[in-house]
Amino acid sequence: MSKLALARLQTGFAYGVLSFLLVLVLFPFYWMTVTSFKTEDQMRSLVSMFWPSPFALENYVQLVTKTDFLAWFGNSAIVAISSTLVATAIGTLGAYALARLKFLGRAFMSSTVLITYLVPPSILFIPLYAQIRTFGLSDSLAGLIAAYPSFTVPFVTWLLMGYFESIPIELEEAAMIDGSTRFGAFRRIILPLSAPGVLAAALYAFTQAWNEFLYALVFITNVKLRTLPVGLSSFITGDVYGWGYLMAGAVLTTLPVIAVYIYLQKYMVEGLTAGSVKG
Amino acid sequence: MSIGARTYPAKTSIEVRSGGVATTLKRVLGPDWRMGFLFVLPIVVLVLALVAYPFCYAVYLSMTRKFVGMPAVFVGFENYVRLASDGFFRRAVWNSVIFTFGSVVFKLMLGMAMALVLTSNIRFRSVFTGILLVPWVAPTVVSALNFLWIYDGSLGVLNYLLVRVFHILPQGVGWLSEAGTAMASVIFVNIWRGFPFFGISFLAGMKAIPGELYEAASVDGANPLQRFCYVTLPSLRNIMIIVILLSTIWTFNDFGIVYILTKGGPGGATMVLPVFTYEMAFGAQRLGDAIAVALYMLPPLAIVIILLARYMRRGSAR
Repeated sequence: MSKLALARLQTGFAYGVLSFLLVLVLFPFYWMTVTSFKTEDQMRSLVSMFWPSPFALENYVQLVTKTDFLAWFGNSAIVAISSTLVATAIGTLGAYALARLKFLGRAFMSSTVLITYLVPPSILFIPLYAQIRTFGLSDSLAGLIAAYPSFTVPFVTWLLMGYFESIPIELEEAAMIDGSTRFGAFRRIILPLSAPGVLAAALYAFTQAWNEFLYALVFITNVKLRTLPVGLSSFITGDVYGWGYLMAGAVLTTLPVIAVYIYLQKYMVEGLTAGSVKG
Repeated sequence: MSIGARTYPAKTSIEVRSGGVATTLKRVLGPDWRMGFLFVLPIVVLVLALVAYPFCYAVYLSMTRKFVGMPAVFVGFENYVRLASDGFFRRAVWNSVIFTFGSVVFKLMLGMAMALVLTSNIRFRSVFTGILLVPWVAPTVVSALNFLWIYDGSLGVLNYLLVRVFHILPQGVGWLSEAGTAMASVIFVNIWRGFPFFGISFLAGMKAIPGELYEAASVDGANPLQRFCYVTLPSLRNIMIIVILLSTIWTFNDFGIVYILTKGGPGGATMVLPVFTYEMAFGAQRLGDAIAVALYMLPPLAIVIILLARYMRRGSAR
């Protein structure tokens, strides 16, 4: 076989695998969206399986008017945004110190941050629940806002440590030789330079908090105080699932994350590899 | 260069002049100790309050007989001993091993396929990279609910496709309600959600491999398969180890997918440890036992975490 034919064969094979992966990845989202626009009758009769006919908005109307979806959406937004702000502030300062400053215990703290990032919620959720109760924060959004930094802060810190380490130290040295203090150099040189990285880390923390399920399931019992993941999953405990409005809720829950992701795609892909996983 | 060995800027004249206590403190605590301590303090407080203290409390609780809302009674290692001979617990351990192993192996293979496709000669690579990463970004609960609907025994689209469109099966399968298919079905969802992370990590690793290596291999007459085996794979070794270990931790501790799809059923066929812990704590209300279950996961987990931390730190110090 000639070289050209071999190259063509390879490319063709690549497109074949790519198509398979695309169908695999996209089908569930396509199916979720199609279902959300179907009527109950259409779903039951298995007609026009792959396209809504008639195209109905009743699921969305029902979701907004007859369930607590909007309250859950608000709760998720409050919890995710607050805990992201906390995590980003704490994580940025900590990451800078751990990446750049020289002080006793730095290496130990760096390891601690990494290990904390790796300790899974399934080990921590019961004692953390007990902890949140002693603070009187169970069954409140404040409890979730307090608990989420346990995974967002180590993540943001670890991500930004890598980012800060990649900024040439000469920039700070130059500023300090020109009479700036350490803090001045951090505020005027490093922070502006690392704004994209900080933003990426923040939005990343946001999606983690937005998607979180276990803590929200355990800490919150009041129906009105549920976050979106717990609220949505509570639709399946009844006998009649109501797939239409469940899928409508799933679409609306996914949209903010996808919006953030599209905006951030480049940073996220780089951030993933630059900060969290370096080989 | 290791992090600790980095050189620091020369002392400014002001620092040199201030002597006595300040100098001693600087020598002992490091030149930047004030700002360093101040900046790290919030993390220290957070780790102590949200991770270290709860963790120690967990160890204590696991040695008690504790029901929700009742005082704890200290019983030593009784919970651990009882669990060791508990058939449900042993089954959950085994299920967790199968769930984790099955998921990670296929995520590795699909992730490699994804990375190879995305480094090959195709158009719109960055667009496809973005699309293929979506399962990893989307809320896990949403994905699990999607698959719950896809797998549905009577109205689900999977049965519709297999029975009515492709005529592969004579009749529909209760994917999640039959013991024979439930585990494979939940593993599939975990693979679906997790393989893009493998793919994107391998992709980044492949992009960092110098092109000269491939050229040299080609000159020596290596075919594509040989180039993959002798250039790509060895270069990806570190990334592969890190990603596999990370994914092992995440998969072993995955709660949402199994909880939403099967709650551990049917008849315990998909009961993995995190769900078992949850059911023990909030179903049976036995907190002491539940934490003992969670802590049984700790020794293997600790080994993986320590191993992983070493690899990841080595990577970052490069």
